[in-house]
Amino acid sequence: MLKTIHRRNFLAATAVLSLALAASTADVSYAQSGEKVTLRIANSQWLDALRGKNLWAVVQKYQEVAPNVTLEQEAIPSAEFADKLTTEMGAGQGPDIAIMQEGVFYAMADAGFLVDVGKAAEGVKLNKTNDNGMIDGTRYGIAWQRAAYAMIYNKPVLDAAGAKVPTTVEELIASAKAASAKTPGVIGFSARHQMNDLSGWYMDFQSWAYGYGVNWVDKDGKLTIDTPEAVAAVAAFKQTYDSGIIPIGDSMPTQRTRFKEKHVAFSIDNSGGTLNIASGGALASADIGGAAMPFKNPGAHQQIFLGVSEHSKNQDEAIKFLAWLLTEPAQKALREASGPDALATDVPVSEAYAAANPWAPTFVKLAENSRSTLIPGYEVETMEIMRFVMQAVEKVILSNVDPKTALAEAQSAVDKQF
Amino acid sequence: MTGSKIRNGMTRLVPYAFILPPMIYLMVFMFWPLARQMYMSLTNTKIINPNRGRFIGLGNYERLFDDPAFYLSLKVTLLYAVLAVIFGVALGVISALAIDRPFKGRSIVRAILLFGWAVPNVAASLIWLWMYNDRSGIFNRITEFAGIGRFGWLTSIDLALASIVAVTVWQVAPFVMLVVLAALQSVPHEVREAARIDGADGLSTFRAVTLPHIRPAVQLASLLVCVWSIRRFDIIYLLTGGGPVGTTSTLVVKIRQTAFEGHELGMASAYGAVGLVLALAIAAVHYLAEQRRMKWMSR
Repeated sequence: MLKTIHRRNFLAATAVLSLALAASTADVSYAQSGEKVTLRIANSQWLDALRGKNLWAVVQKYQEVAPNVTLEQEAIPSAEFADKLTTEMGAGQGPDIAIMQEGVFYAMADAGFLVDVGKAAEGVKLNKTNDNGMIDGTRYGIAWQRAAYAMIYNKPVLDAAGAKVPTTVEELIASAKAASAKTPGVIGFSARHQMNDLSGWYMDFQSWAYGYGVNWVDKDGKLTIDTPEAVAAVAAFKQTYDSGIIPIGDSMPTQRTRFKEKHVAFSIDNSGGTLNIASGGALASADIGGAAMPFKNPGAHQQIFLGVSEHSKNQDEAIKFLAWLLTEPAQKALREASGPDALATDVPVSEAYAAANPWAPTFVKLAENSRSTLIPGYEVETMEIMRFVMQAVEKVILSNVDPKTALAEAQSAVDKQF
Repeated sequence: MTGSKIRNGMTRLVPYAFILPPMIYLMVFMFWPLARQMYMSLTNTKIINPNRGRFIGLGNYERLFDDPAFYLSLKVTLLYAVLAVIFGVALGVISALAIDRPFKGRSIVRAILLFGWAVPNVAASLIWLWMYNDRSGIFNRITEFAGIGRFGWLTSIDLALASIVAVTVWQVAPFVMLVVLAALQSVPHEVREAARIDGADGLSTFRAVTLPHIRPAVQLASLLVCVWSIRRFDIIYLLTGGGPVGTTSTLVVKIRQTAFEGHELGMASAYGAVGLVLALAIAAVHYLAEQRRMKWMSR
């Protein structure tokens, strides 16, 4: 009997204690969720040498003004970024905030994975880099950076060869060959040229296409792939490829590393890539020159947007972070870490920065007239369309198919699918 | 019901109890995903909205069979698999025969020959990527030294597939060698000796004595190498990404392109279904050949 009473008492006491413990735990977790917030920010740039560290340092300043917020990196390599983010978001997961290329941004917005962030931009004078962040009257994205394309060169190598800064493709080939001949081991010109790097190659190639006046879509919204302008652009790329100045088979990271180590004379790259080349390598930033691309018309730019995930449990906090990022101090700090990339608001490159990095002002100027790599009206499908175009370019440079025939085939494939 | 009847009933259930866990595993991790994939191939599912796919019947297959790129990838897949089997198995068998007999330093040679099999595919691909590099790769250094110039091992339409096959053979031949080496242990020494005394030369001894003993192992290794080649992604994707001009674009590479670049999960599933049918057909051919051989041996 005594035993039974003891057991009952023990069970009752345990039950009371358990209830009390559960109640107190619930209180604690509620209090924690109200006070502490963790925002996960996905960006491929976190992995960039030096630049990634600098950009993250800027972002982390937010924790000083919002001590309840902890920022966490989701660093995804550039080549896998679209795949990983798409898969994560498709599965209802992913980061709170994504810093993504324009193409991925459109796909995410189209799938309904991004929320309206218009509140973050209230009262802020946004510049035109934010124009494409507005889709059907709703703001889904705030510009993080816009990286225009320009031609960059290794000044000491050019000086040694007495080569001039080219203004046409023929001059580019001649100057690149002269530089290679004068300094053995130096590659004439670095450029993406392989289908296994499609996502980067098609964006780079847009500068060639736009430079020759290509519009991939006509006034009526019909896709126009085999225009005379496109034929001329592909022919110019083939001429460059055939001249032997490009290091065939090298990936872009390898080519950029070679540039950093003083082994490349010319390249057509965006400002982000150039900042990477100018940071922490053997080639001093002051020895890098910048010029307009050797084409008649303005080229392309890569646009990166910030978006807040529909799946985020902290959407309001994420939008507050975006609002902070648009403040003057944050934009100024971002300017220091972003080199000459255009930002969401007009923050000029400082004179000291331009003096230390003589290539920077060229990019700023070219960004004024550069065009998006996306095809208007086909933003989500751009990469699929450009796959057909780049397959045609690959066919032209690797076989004896003429540009007109290859692009006509691409046109027919595009017409069939879109 | 007596105790012995219950015991008998329980005994009959024991095999099922043993089979149950692997069956559950296969159901959950193989058959269910396979069934999902088959269904998905009949929908217009996109990767960015995987739960909002609409049933479109055979629409994906219609598009697939109407696409010249599909036939090219099918051709590349079969060619790649056949070449990998021929060269991988031949090299594996020759290596096994070479190291089957004792010689000085055999264990070191065996370890070196196994190296390709031991290295992870990604690491192997990156090593070969550098060896194939146009400017600084070892192969072009050699060909330049020999005065025959440089070659675009991975960038030339004519050489890319052969270069990929070479890496694959380097990877699979050691596996074939191991399997055949094990089978060679079953060849009775006396029979070989008798053939030698009867005056049979090396080739005749191999054909009449050794080959019948190792044939099942060679067949099995061929089947495995063939199926692995159809499924192989890492080596091809890392070395060429399916290029140049689709000359190394196998079905698996097309699946990846369609799913992640084209965002078309439904269409990618249709590609996957074709790959599955291909692998099953090859397995069926192997099974039939094996059945015929068993029938012939039992006569």
